[in-house]
Amino acid sequence: MTTLHLLSQSPWRQPLDSVLRLLGADDALLLCGDACQALHTGSEAWSLLQTLPATVRLYALQEDLQARNLGAAERVTPVDYPAFVELCAQYDKVNGWL
Amino acid sequence: MKFAIALFSPPHAPASRRALRFAEAVLASGHEIVRLFFYRDGVYNASCAMVAPQDELDMAAQWRAFVAEHRLDSVVCIAAALRRGVLNAEEARRYEREAISTGAPWELSGLGQLHEAAQLADRLVCFGGD
Repeated sequence: MTTLHLLSQSPWRQPLDSVLRLLGADDALLLCGDACQALHTGSEAWSLLQTLPATVRLYALQEDLQARNLGAAERVTPVDYPAFVELCAQYDKVNGWL
Repeated sequence: MKFAIALFSPPHAPASRRALRFAEAVLASGHEIVRLFFYRDGVYNASCAMVAPQDELDMAAQWRAFVAEHRLDSVVCIAAALRRGVLNAEEARRYEREAISTGAPWELSGLGQLHEAAQLADRLVCFGGD
């Protein structure tokens, strides 16, 4: 059973550690909205993301990266809306962290 | 694949726009939307009383057009709507309020509709936050 986790809140508002603790080895994380702020290299959130096993895929919504002038670091795959839909189909469940 | 989409944020939150773009992509990809469910502040998306600033997207209008165009099953949580003053003609009459702030294509119903949507769909995708 694999799960795609959707994060939309800033990591300063919704600490990542509680989320990451529940990620399975084959789960994936899709960052959208202010959750993309976790991709600021050097931030605490970014360091936490580095601790994830290599099997956990990381995605970020492309338009939210652009809106924040963030480049997708290595390991992070930018996705548009059609790709977002296909990811939902690809994983067994979708868990939105509200 | 069958999708159910739930929205917890109001029209002026980025999550509302994100949910609508996602819903459009679901249909464009040939998938089906079995139900849209609007909960908590998400019920404001069904309000026809909100006026968006001229230089901002009118997400409530965009949702209304999208739902009407595709004749989607779109349920607004009735308890969340009542407490926020989002009333259709029937509820305005029932509670003796002068203002009617929602109507077709929206349907006011209970939280059980979200549970049912989760059973009917292959995927339930919830949008909220910022």
